[in-house]
Amino acid sequence: MGPTLRAAWHIALKDVAIEWRTKTAFASGLVFAVLVLAVLFFSRDPTTVSSTDIAPGALWVTFTFAAMLGLNRAFLIEREQRALDGILLTPTPPVAIFWGKFAANLAFVGTIEAISLPLFVLFYDVPIWVRFGELVLVIAMATIAFVAVGTLLSAMAVRTRYAELMLPLLLLPFLVPPLVGGVQLTARLLEGRPLSDLSGWLKLIAGFDVAFVTLAALLFQVVLDE
Amino acid sequence: MNGAVTAAAADTVLSASGVTRRFAYRTVLAGVSLSLRRGEVLLLVGPNGAGKTTLLRVLAGLLRPAKGHVERRGAIGMVAHDAMLYPALTARENLRFFARLHGIADRERVAAALEHVGLSRRADDRVGTFSRGMLQRVAIARALIHEPDLLLFDEPLSGLDAAASRTLVELLAGFRERGTAMIIVSHEMERLGRVATHMARLAAGRLGPVESLAGRDPAAVFAELMREDA
Repeated sequence: MGPTLRAAWHIALKDVAIEWRTKTAFASGLVFAVLVLAVLFFSRDPTTVSSTDIAPGALWVTFTFAAMLGLNRAFLIEREQRALDGILLTPTPPVAIFWGKFAANLAFVGTIEAISLPLFVLFYDVPIWVRFGELVLVIAMATIAFVAVGTLLSAMAVRTRYAELMLPLLLLPFLVPPLVGGVQLTARLLEGRPLSDLSGWLKLIAGFDVAFVTLAALLFQVVLDE
Repeated sequence: MNGAVTAAAADTVLSASGVTRRFAYRTVLAGVSLSLRRGEVLLLVGPNGAGKTTLLRVLAGLLRPAKGHVERRGAIGMVAHDAMLYPALTARENLRFFARLHGIADRERVAAALEHVGLSRRADDRVGTFSRGMLQRVAIARALIHEPDLLLFDEPLSGLDAAASRTLVELLAGFRERGTAMIIVSHEMERLGRVATHMARLAAGRLGPVESLAGRDPAAVFAELMREDA
């Protein structure tokens, strides 16, 4: 393992250890996920709107906002006691900080998603098992896109006075393309259509994955420079 | 230092020239120049708001100067007002994390650093439960763990009790003997005057002449420098 990857690994492990110990973002993310799934489910009129009609939107709204709680936390733990300065005083390259934070955020969001998915099935009674592998692939791809840009923007937002408010404002416009793609693909997969029929949306999300991950990694140094 | 303490470039650990830094429209540092060689310890004094903390942050590379440049040679360690630690992690975990980022995998080194600052018995307690003085001791261990060539301290004795202060002063004297260069922001002449080799006053973002302490009483030099604030 090269020094950059090794440093990224240590940063990711440290973030996971802190979250494991405090469970601050995890607990709030999970409670939020359950609440959103339940509220959206009970807000519909079952005689006019079927659960499968609102299920894809409900799933992605849940994932997005629950993830935002974790993304916010990612750099708030660095602001407390200015621990990020401690990292910057080591020979760690900024890109290693990005990859470490990105990996830890992916682990956090992935865990929230993995726990929310069975709850989603429980509430909405949708046939996710028919195309389960494809659905997991779509969720993973859209998650990579928004976690990459979320990691960059949370590093930026944490330097502002109202970091918790700033992140959603900055992040949501960037999330529109991968989220729309995620919702569209989820809806089609829940209808039982194969992924091969949906290559357009899939390519769009893949494009955003490449663009967001590359740009976020490249721009991270600039964000760290005050 | 400031021309007065110049030496062979090979020995120079830190050199800054014409460093200017502004926050919004306020100039906090105005053309600060200094250089520091191995084994030199500069005690930096000055009134509140003089720009001492900002200068340390610029010298450490944590802030970019608006003008001028800073050149560092070797590894840096820094103790600032904030401990730069993770409250949810234990003292040992914090030190192990920073040691690994410095490329040190040796667990013994972490244990030795904790012992140096007298925290072996609390090594596995979360630093979030520590008092200000204990936090400061972990921060000192973090700054020293990789045996840096340059150490920057912002009020290192704040929060420390008499015994811990004595230990730190001895530790710093040991580092000076090994050739570590240091800049210490402090007004604790009685204790730190024994470690320092030079003293300078920063006021309104401008660095005054650097005084050598060789054969002089640090308290007298300090009184002389601070007279200008009166």
